[in-house]
Amino acid sequence: MADRAAARAVDAEELFFDALEGFPTVTMYLKFAFKSFQKQLAYKFEYFVGVVNGLLFIFIFTSLWKNIFDSSKASASSGFTMEGIVSYAVFAMIIRISMSQDDMGVMGKIRSGDIAMDMIKPYNYFGVTLAENVGGTMFHWFTRAAPILAVCLIFFDVSLPRDPVNYMLLAVTWTMGYLIYFMVNWLFAMIAFWVIETFSFQLMKYGMFTLFSGGIIPLDFFPDFIRPAVAYIPFMYILYVPTATFIGHIGHGEAMGFILFQGAWVAALGLVSALVWKAAQKKLIIQGG
Amino acid sequence: MNDDVLIRCQDLRREFTVAEGRAGLLGSIKSLFSTKSSVIRAVDDVSFDIRAGEFVGYVGENGAGKSTTIKMLTGILTPTGGRAVVNGTVPYLERVKNAFNIGVVFGQRSQLWWDLPVADSLDLLRAIYRVPPARYRQNLAELSKWLELGPLMKMPVRKLSLGQRMRADLAASLLHGPKVMFLDEPTIGLDIIAKDNVRRFLKKINKEQGVTIILTTHDMDDIEALCDRIIIIDKGKIAWDGATNRLKSQHMNGKILEVEFHDYNPDISGAIGLTEMKTEANKKWLRYQGDGGAALNDVISALFRDYCVKDLSIHEPKVGDVVKAIYEHGVDHMEAADHG
Repeated sequence: MADRAAARAVDAEELFFDALEGFPTVTMYLKFAFKSFQKQLAYKFEYFVGVVNGLLFIFIFTSLWKNIFDSSKASASSGFTMEGIVSYAVFAMIIRISMSQDDMGVMGKIRSGDIAMDMIKPYNYFGVTLAENVGGTMFHWFTRAAPILAVCLIFFDVSLPRDPVNYMLLAVTWTMGYLIYFMVNWLFAMIAFWVIETFSFQLMKYGMFTLFSGGIIPLDFFPDFIRPAVAYIPFMYILYVPTATFIGHIGHGEAMGFILFQGAWVAALGLVSALVWKAAQKKLIIQGG
Repeated sequence: MNDDVLIRCQDLRREFTVAEGRAGLLGSIKSLFSTKSSVIRAVDDVSFDIRAGEFVGYVGENGAGKSTTIKMLTGILTPTGGRAVVNGTVPYLERVKNAFNIGVVFGQRSQLWWDLPVADSLDLLRAIYRVPPARYRQNLAELSKWLELGPLMKMPVRKLSLGQRMRADLAASLLHGPKVMFLDEPTIGLDIIAKDNVRRFLKKINKEQGVTIILTTHDMDDIEALCDRIIIIDKGKIAWDGATNRLKSQHMNGKILEVEFHDYNPDISGAIGLTEMKTEANKKWLRYQGDGGAALNDVISALFRDYCVKDLSIHEPKVGDVVKAIYEHGVDHMEAADHG
């Protein structure tokens, strides 16, 4: 039975790619995404643990916010209600999980010299890495984000927005946020071309991401003197904008403005990524001969 | 450029800047503020032409510049100076275009996807190289027959033995039917049978498919079994370049005598018709030239008469011995020994 189902899946995949004949580049990127999805299947147990971890974090943060809101006047200054902040905490975590990327892969390849195996292939390594990440992310959707969402809707006091516009805005802001996150990871990985010991840079990235992406604390709680500065670094556009837009904390009109900023960041980071990659190829020294 | 020339290197050069660490704690603190660096020339004005269909051994010691040259020809590294053309393409300027025309195997790295079955890796490569379905089926059938891929196709790469992985890697590098193949130590770590299989396969694709092959290896038996031509690189410069047969006829006539003396290691410069190659404890390796001088049995009797010989064996010289001698003494010494 299982064999027959697997054979049917393979047939479907073949039919799909047959239909794409004549678009070799699209076919290649899609294949990378498919295979990357398939690769993750080798580590099933890890994702079960991932679901438990995600739920644990959601439980911790929602409890924390409830206590803070019970005992202070935080709600008045931030514009969040108790229900609002709980739903922010839940969806910020789910969106964060839905954006999971392999942020060590490129750096690891540069450090080990395995990047040579990508340089001998006739493809754009940036594009291929993005495609592989998309495949992996899809896997995280099915195995972590979706189950966590289901559990939260049943057991936590949160609900999905009713307005379909929120879903459309989420699709756009999520995609832009995902691309920004990917390129931030890419640029931090590129540091490995110039610096051998990259751990401190990774630490810096994690620190800034945790603090400024809005994954834990919405930017509305930041002191006034920091908020303008945060607007000039890319992190808030990764999680804060999609989350706050989706739950309706950011209105539709205001969201359009944020989308423009996201677009500008995508363009700017794309340009810098291309330039840095070009410079890195000249700099390349393959470790280990 | 001659139509026949497939690869041309002209004064190819690659320099690396190496930061020099200072010794000790004080030294490392100093290095924080000023880094002293020096420039190392890994490949130093290397020039050669390789014609279509050749099987070339590119040999040298560790750090001699072999891999750096290969990396420039495959488009991974940009040269500091000079020029390289592979099949009409400048590899480091048009990396992607060059990649379509070449096959590459690095013995110490795999181009397969670790967690995927071999069949999936090959399918992905088909998409990367845009191999038309009919040609893919034909190429895969042939490679599968020669490399006995059948039983490996469904196994994840991480579960393959080194020999199996190398077979799969060879198939991966040839799936798109490249004209040129670069092999960097393809037999490293393989057992004798696996080595033999790889060699037979390489010989076959060179002779039957006309694939031009550039092979770097430390295994001189690989070179002797496979290569029509040898290029020896030493400290970034070409030390010798020519047909394997010429290397043999110029440097490998005569015999090698491996002599163990009783409990000493005498100075044998007085012995007739022998040149010392290597000496170690109470053992010496001596070259017997044999052209016109004393007959071998006379030379040996003289050895037994004049010295206290415990054991003696006679070998045919191997390409490896000659190459080793060139690393150690340079070509001039070898030529002098030949005509001396």
